[in-house]
Amino acid sequence: MTSSAVVVSVSATYLVACLAIGMWPSKRTSDSATGYVAGDRSLGTLVMYFITGATIFSAFAFLGMPGWAYSRGVAGLYILAYGALGFLPFYFLGPRAARLGRHYGFVTQAEMIAARYSMPAIAGVMAVISVMAFVPYLALQMKGAGYVLETVTRGGIEQWQGAAIVYGVVLAYVLKSGVLGVGWTNTFQGIFMMALAWFMGLYLPQLLYGGIGPMFERIANERPELLRAPGLTSTGAPWAWSEYSSTVIVSILGFSMWPHLFMKAYTARSERTIRRTVVLYPTFQIFLVPILIIGFAGVLFEPAPPRADQILPHMMMHTELPAIVVGLFCAGALAASMSSGDAMVHAAASIVVRDGIATAFGKELDPHKERAWIRRLVVVVMLGSYALAISYRGSLAGLLIYAYGPVTQFFPAVVATLYARRISGAAVFGGLCAGIVVNTWFVVSPESRPFAIHAGAYGLAANVVTLLVLSRLTRPCSDDAFLCVAGTPPG
Amino acid sequence: MSALRSHCALAAYVVVCLTAISWPGYAWIGDRVRPTILGLPFVFAWNVLWVLLSFVAVALYDRSLERVRRDP
Repeated sequence: MTSSAVVVSVSATYLVACLAIGMWPSKRTSDSATGYVAGDRSLGTLVMYFITGATIFSAFAFLGMPGWAYSRGVAGLYILAYGALGFLPFYFLGPRAARLGRHYGFVTQAEMIAARYSMPAIAGVMAVISVMAFVPYLALQMKGAGYVLETVTRGGIEQWQGAAIVYGVVLAYVLKSGVLGVGWTNTFQGIFMMALAWFMGLYLPQLLYGGIGPMFERIANERPELLRAPGLTSTGAPWAWSEYSSTVIVSILGFSMWPHLFMKAYTARSERTIRRTVVLYPTFQIFLVPILIIGFAGVLFEPAPPRADQILPHMMMHTELPAIVVGLFCAGALAASMSSGDAMVHAAASIVVRDGIATAFGKELDPHKERAWIRRLVVVVMLGSYALAISYRGSLAGLLIYAYGPVTQFFPAVVATLYARRISGAAVFGGLCAGIVVNTWFVVSPESRPFAIHAGAYGLAANVVTLLVLSRLTRPCSDDAFLCVAGTPPG
Repeated sequence: MSALRSHCALAAYVVVCLTAISWPGYAWIGDRVRPTILGLPFVFAWNVLWVLLSFVAVALYDRSLERVRRDP
């Protein structure tokens, strides 16, 4: 048993350090929306690398993923599977989007698509879909932060209070310094988390089982079903191959569509930076390996945690670890939650303002007004997600898999915008609407699915079919200048 | 290597990788506990392997295209 007081003070010190680092760069960006949202298009490879990496290294990675390895076995490996190819589409889409961003001044993907088809309504529907994806994802991060604080204080700080404290800090630094603050904070956190993950992933199996090999030997003997691909469902039945495979594919297509990741095309200094970030991305996946191992270390651990998602902090509190190590680790988990949460809330707010208010409703906003609106929306999105976080009772991973359904619906629209000549705006709009409606239908009533396939895959099928059929029926938008900009490398 | 050959090689890799990390490659080849690799059950090592292979494949693709971009 580890001392709560030391753990809490180490975590608190860490939060203060985050705040200091997050505030620092706010002096350097210009006071326009481009400065606040796109960081004046100046992020280099190192910062880009850690932003994308640490954004993925979320509360899901530190809590939801070990929670899955613990309760659903190799199902947790799905994050490695989709991470292998997940960022690859961005290698092609990112540089094209960046050229358009520079030429036309876009800072969000919906702005780009709406401009291509001269159809502001597309930006409106994309803003709605983005919020549908962001709110559960952000709620996941908040809930995760709440779980950490609840566990380390042994229930002294309850989950809802913990989430409020941590996200108060996030709110402060996002309001103060926008994306560059987010960037530097992530760089700092990324390095910190990697070191800790490796240490714990090697140390815990050694301490509890005498090594990684003996640990899996015991799991294979006592709980063999956990090591049968593709793992178990939340009820403990074997997961269907069709559902596993479709979840992996939906996640691969959806991953680079996350607006907070896609927007990085507009913040990158150069196309080289974007490509290099994509190439290096799988190296971040490797850092998930020790975290999965930690989750498996919990399988035969006594006492069992109150909830599967708490397995990691729970185990740390119940082993004879120095309090400072537990404190640093919990700080790492909080950092993971915060670094994903800040990027998301920031992206969600910018999207509602720029795509919803400015583009779809045609409201003229000068840069300072726009920035003020983004700040207001940051607060609104935070409160909405917080409400979901404290009322939702399912698993963290459940929230993530739900969030991928809506966000994957952007894929056909983005590909059409950047590559296709013979697609119309009405078709893109219709595809997005059909996709999100079908996805939502099957999320709400999963038993009505004809086959056990991820709801987002049904949405995607409806989306693509509608897109192609409507394009045949309507006049295509042939803006050749646009595609020409997208296809011409700078210099 | 010409740009076209690089594109084709990458496309082929993506197809193979997709089948290896989902059905059927994962079910037929990846789904076993033994042999263990560095203490990890085979099913775990299989997924790690495809992450590493993807890194190598995309890095090689990027290098060959970068050469074309610099010297078309």
